[in-house]
Parts: sequence; C-alpha cells; structure tokens
Amino acid sequence: MIGEIIINAFLVTLMLTIAIFIINTRKVISTILLTGTYSLVAALMFVSLDAVDVAFTEASVGAGISTILFLAALSYLPKEEKKEKFNVKHIYAICTCTIVAGLLIWASYDLPLVGQLENPVHQNLAQDFIEGSRNHIGIPNVVTSILASYRGYDTFGETVVIYTAGIAVLVLLYDGVSKTSKNNKGKNK
Amino acid sequence: MDNIILKVCTKVLFTPIILFGLYVQFHGDFGPGGGFQAGVIVAAAFILYAIVFSVEDCKLIMPPKLNFFLLALGAFLYGFVGIVGLILGDPYLSYDVLGSTKESGQHIGILLVEFGVGLTVCNVMISLFYSFANFNFRRKNND
Repeated sequence: MIGEIIINAFLVTLMLTIAIFIINTRKVISTILLTGTYSLVAALMFVSLDAVDVAFTEASVGAGISTILFLAALSYLPKEEKKEKFNVKHIYAICTCTIVAGLLIWASYDLPLVGQLENPVHQNLAQDFIEGSRNHIGIPNVVTSILASYRGYDTFGETVVIYTAGIAVLVLLYDGVSKTSKNNKGKNK
Repeated sequence: MDNIILKVCTKVLFTPIILFGLYVQFHGDFGPGGGFQAGVIVAAAFILYAIVFSVEDCKLIMPPKLNFFLLALGAFLYGFVGIVGLILGDPYLSYDVLGSTKESGQHIGILLVEFGVGLTVCNVMISLFYSFANFNFRRKNND
C-alpha cells in the first residue's frame, strides 16, 4: 500500500515537473519531446492502475507515433515560439484555467475510491462482460472481448473515424505531392 | 541521413519490429494489445525506415498506391465481417455464426476485425507521414 503511494506520488511529481517545463520552454522541438515523455509517464501511471491495454496504447500512440508526426510537421514551423508580454489575454486564461480546475477537483470528491468492489462501475454490466468473456466468447483478455465483440459497433466507428481522418489529411496534403515528386525527379536528373 | 550505425541498426531492427507488431496483433486475445497498438508499431517500423534512409526508399517497399488500398481495405474488412454475419442470419457484428461453434465463431470474428483495425491504423499513420514529409508548403501557397 505504502509502496503504491510512493510510486504514484513519484509519477505525479514527474508529470507535474514535465508539464511546468513544457509551459516554460520556448523551443518547439523540446516541447514536442517533453510531450512524448509526458505520455510515457502517463503510460506508467496506467500500468500502476492495472490498465495494461490503455498503457500500451498510450505508450505506442502518445509517446511513439504522435511524437514522430509532430516532428514531421515541425519542419513547417518556426524553430522558436515568439515571446509575448504579459497582457489581458493571460489574465482571462489564468481565470478560466483556475475555475475549470477548481470545478474538476470539486467534482472529484464525489467519485468513489479506485478499485472498490462496491463501485457503481462494477455493479451492472461489468459482471456480465467478465463472465461472458469466459463462457460465451472464450477469450482470456476481457478488454479485447469488450472492444471487438460486445462493443463492436463502437470500434467500427473508431476505425471509420481514423479512416476518415486519414483520407481528409490525404485530400488536403497529398494532392500536390505526386506531381511535385515527379517534377523533382525530373529536375534532379 | 548518412550515418552508417543508424542504417545498419535500422536494417537489423526492421524485421523484429514488424514481428513484434504481428505478435501484438494476433496475441491481443490473450494479453494486452490489439489492432490499434499493432498498427502503430508496424507503422513505426516503416517510418523509422523512411527517416533513416529516405521517404523515396520507403515508397519502394510500401508504394503509396498499395498504402491507400490497404487503408481502405482495413475499414472494409471490418464492415464486411459484420455483413457476412448478417447474411448468415445473425445481428450485425455478432460473430456467433462465423465458426462451427459459437466460441470459434467469436474467435474468427474478433481476429478478422482486429486485423482490419490494424491495417487501417498502420496505413493511415504511414500515409500521414508520407504527406507531412513530402508536402511542399511554398508550392501549395503559390498555387
């Protein structure tokens, strides 16, 4: 129990430190890399909550591929952020952040403790899913059986969303590429 | 990039990364993993290759046309598995009738569906990287 508290405190402190560094740094490349490390620490956090699938996704998508895609997009950005003097906009931003954070913290007092058997989450469908995953579907990993079978429609929706997003980016960016690369090849020769 | 260490390491690592991706893909029933993670891992192998060598080299092993085809095929496969179940007389996307028993039907359905997710995710990531890496911003503005 104490070990868990120490690990969680360490991870939260690490995330907080990284977040402060992300806010402070002006170089775009260090912002991107720090965001990647933030995701990696978040993945460790999910592991300590026993959500291994989520942690895996966070590590591969958050820390891995999105960092690479940001780095690829970086070449179209200036290397450093502009410095801005403290003005009215910042005061609005600080007020909004404080109010939203306060509301979220206030709401978190109504949440049940993590991992308790009496929690509403474990009362209704979860039992059916866990029993059904063993008896009806025959797959040890409950997450997969929920994701692909019980909630197959949702996952289909997610896949179509990813597909649509990919097509949209291709329509916006890929249009000129085939022509340019051919032109470039011709020029290089 | 002209670093011999990076090039050799990439050549050595390329296959194991894809192998690990396939392991995550098809072992998702028994351990953590599944289509989304596997797709990202396989895409990472191709993107690593594109970064260390060049995008043109990567297009030789994953041509954009094949990339677009697989991108669409993944989403199609997912929907098609549901339609096959529909034809065989089951609700959409419930896989009971796909196999000889209910359990094997579920196994086959989940495997195919996850494979569709993996294909789409992997190829969307690769094509995103292609379009970012090749996009000619100035030319676009002049047009």
